[in-house]
Amino acid sequence: MAGDLATPRSRDLRPILSFVFVLILWDLAHRFALVDPRFLPAPLDILTRLISELSAGTILSDLAATLRRNLLGFLIGAAAGVSLGAVLGASRRIGQIVGPTVVAQRQTALFAWVPLLAMWFGGGDSGKIAFIALAAFQPTVINTWRGIALVPEPLRELAASLRFSQGQYLRHVALPAAAPQIFTGLHTALIYAWLATVGSELFMNITPGLGGRLSEGSQMFEMDLLFLAIAIFGAVGLIYNSLAEALEAQLLKGHRP
Amino acid sequence: MTEPTPALQIRALSKVFALREGALEVLRDITLTVDPGEFVTIVGASGCGKSTLLRLILGLDRDFRGEIRVDGVPVTGPAADRAIVFQDHRLLPWLTAEANVAAALLNSPLDAETRAREVREHLDLVGLSKFAKAWPRQLSGGMAQRVAIARALVGRPRFLLLDEPLGALDALTRLRMQEELKRIVAHEGATALLVTHDVDEAVYLGHRVVVMQPHPGRIATILEVPPEARADRSSPAFVALRDRILGLLGVGAIEALAV
Amino acid sequence: MTLIHSSPAPVPFAPRTARALVQSLAPLGALSGQILLGLSFPLALLALWSLGAARGWVPPQILPAPSVVWQSFLDLCADGSLALHTNASLIRVAEGFALGATVGLVFGAAVGLVPALRAWVWPPVQAATRVNVLAWMPLLTLFLGIDEALKVVVIGWSVSIPVILATARAVGDVPATLRELGAVLNLTRAQRLRLIVLPQALPQIATGLREGLANAWQSLVIVELFASFEGLGYLMTWGRQLFQLDLVLVAMAVIAVLGFSLDLSLRAVERWLQPWQTGAGHGR
Ligand SMILES: Nc1ncnc2c1ncn2[C@@H]1O[C@H](COP(=O)(O)OP(=O)(O)OP(=O)(O)O)[C@@H](O)[C@H]1O
Ligand SMILES: [Mg+2]
Repeated sequence: MAGDLATPRSRDLRPILSFVFVLILWDLAHRFALVDPRFLPAPLDILTRLISELSAGTILSDLAATLRRNLLGFLIGAAAGVSLGAVLGASRRIGQIVGPTVVAQRQTALFAWVPLLAMWFGGGDSGKIAFIALAAFQPTVINTWRGIALVPEPLRELAASLRFSQGQYLRHVALPAAAPQIFTGLHTALIYAWLATVGSELFMNITPGLGGRLSEGSQMFEMDLLFLAIAIFGAVGLIYNSLAEALEAQLLKGHRP
Repeated sequence: MTEPTPALQIRALSKVFALREGALEVLRDITLTVDPGEFVTIVGASGCGKSTLLRLILGLDRDFRGEIRVDGVPVTGPAADRAIVFQDHRLLPWLTAEANVAAALLNSPLDAETRAREVREHLDLVGLSKFAKAWPRQLSGGMAQRVAIARALVGRPRFLLLDEPLGALDALTRLRMQEELKRIVAHEGATALLVTHDVDEAVYLGHRVVVMQPHPGRIATILEVPPEARADRSSPAFVALRDRILGLLGVGAIEALAV
Repeated sequence: MTLIHSSPAPVPFAPRTARALVQSLAPLGALSGQILLGLSFPLALLALWSLGAARGWVPPQILPAPSVVWQSFLDLCADGSLALHTNASLIRVAEGFALGATVGLVFGAAVGLVPALRAWVWPPVQAATRVNVLAWMPLLTLFLGIDEALKVVVIGWSVSIPVILATARAVGDVPATLRELGAVLNLTRAQRLRLIVLPQALPQIATGLREGLANAWQSLVIVELFASFEGLGYLMTWGRQLFQLDLVLVAMAVIAVLGFSLDLSLRAVERWLQPWQTGAGHGR
């Protein structure tokens, strides 16, 4: 995303300096009492809060609870998405029958499912995990389906000339050919699942987790906690994104013409 | 009554592609009989339907008019006894050279050990043993084509369909591969149908040369290759036949034939 | 020899019944045949749902009968509350989209055209936008309260991000060939903007706007679930609190249909704006 915008030139220090400036301005504003600390904590306050939270261990156990939900939901949703996507892609007929419904479902706003899932699965962990799984499922199923359905004709002919069975075709031709697109789907799914995790913690019942801390910071007016939680949310998203990119590059290396 | 069943029997074959702009007639009234063990080569202008003909014989496309029989049985789809080298090498980019060749044996009854040996031997045959573990993108066009040839040969098919298999090779490797193909087809008693743009190659490899003409693709004529032409590229018979085919492929000659 | 193949020969893998079905639909054209196939699955689900409700397979608190949902839809239409909620939501989306698109276009163009902005202002802003607006929402409530201002800002925020990215990139990265063309033709800076930079940027910007609209619709639901007293998201929350799943399902259906139509209409606008892309053109 916007790599060209983020890094205009190598060895260009201006982007890094710009962050330093923002921090300095932020800090100066506090020193000269230009902002109300009740609304904007000083940078150091957030760091202090992080340290106290870390030493108490609270933020870590919250993060762990959130990540557990997130990964579980992601795994369920992604596995279901890849499997259904493979079926849709392998059989043109099933793709024609079920595919449009999947596409239409994707058009529905994701969070519109929150109340329904909360009523079906309860607002506790299972409701949250169901919602996270749905968020991961949507991009995975569509990308897997497209990737497999769009395997180039020459490769299908090759498989036919070597008399591959359906299973051999999926394993040796369709899945590897679709791998880049399946990874794109999984990558998107990872990001969506993370968003859904925090969303589910905000909108369903309060349980231990990062979203709970976010609400707590907001309701108790603890700005340092609020900013800390936002920063952690952003950091995890960033880590997921970089991990996915690195993994994608690694796995697809050598497998492309 | 005593004649053996032809390896390939094509009768009144026509092929039309339905395009959005209308019907495109690609092959018209092709009739050709190939005996077991025969090596037939096909030459003709680009776009006259040679690749299409091979795809129909293999059974990749069953939408045609007329009749195609292999060993007396109508073609219903690809089978183990027929192998093809596509015009584009069509290697699977995510498999090594070795694994690409082995892919042709996925459905073979051979045990794993024999398969591995066959794969090794055939890579050796096309001179690529050193590149067994290479990815297709690390191979040159000619090397990739040779892997594709190994893949077609490894199952020891009785019927070989070759679509410009030597097109991307350098002159020397090409001559060597021609010898190999000729030897293998003779040695295994296989029947071969080879498409080429190289008239020398067509005459040197073929027992007969099919000359096609375009729009729509038809057989202009089928020429017998005398044994002495097939044996020696500098023999007068070779040169005469080659010049005759070149003449047939020339524009004036084609128009004369089209009358 | 009577084994002459007729054309077309049967396709081996397709089940004959499905094939016959498709062929019987042939007069309707291949496209409508596909549409019918695509409709068959949701219709089958609907039939299963009705049957399940009639036989009492699932309790109505888990899944009310389709007729019940339809009846609440009619009721909500009759007493005008559905129109009220839909209207509230659409106005929010419109306002938020207008805000986000304007900010996005102006800021994106500025970032794309002014290297200093790109270097000094863009990186921190980009870092902030990387964090989804969902996480900023609890913070924003402290500044904006939980009324309309919050909703419009949250929606606008989510709209502006893809618009900024698309605009900055499209305006900033004019292909060298086109830049050379501008130089060869001796165009002034304004002429270059009008004749080269903007037209070549338009497709990307349009895509950014369409993505922004999709985001607007997503964040509308988010922000209405978070805090609201009217709107489709509120209707769902309310239905959930009353344990009236029919209300939830009606609201979901309306959200789905509206979101889908919004996307379709924006695609149409996109095509209309770029006649040179479709080839058909509309007489200019
Ligand atoms: N799948 C297809 N759909 C429509 N038209 C096709 C298709 N495949 C081939 N054709 C057309 O059929 C004609 C013959 O194609 P074909 O590939 O058989 O020619 P060729 O003799 O092998 O040519 P070359 O020597 O260049 O390989 C061409 O006009 C081509 O455009
Ligand atoms: Mg060809």
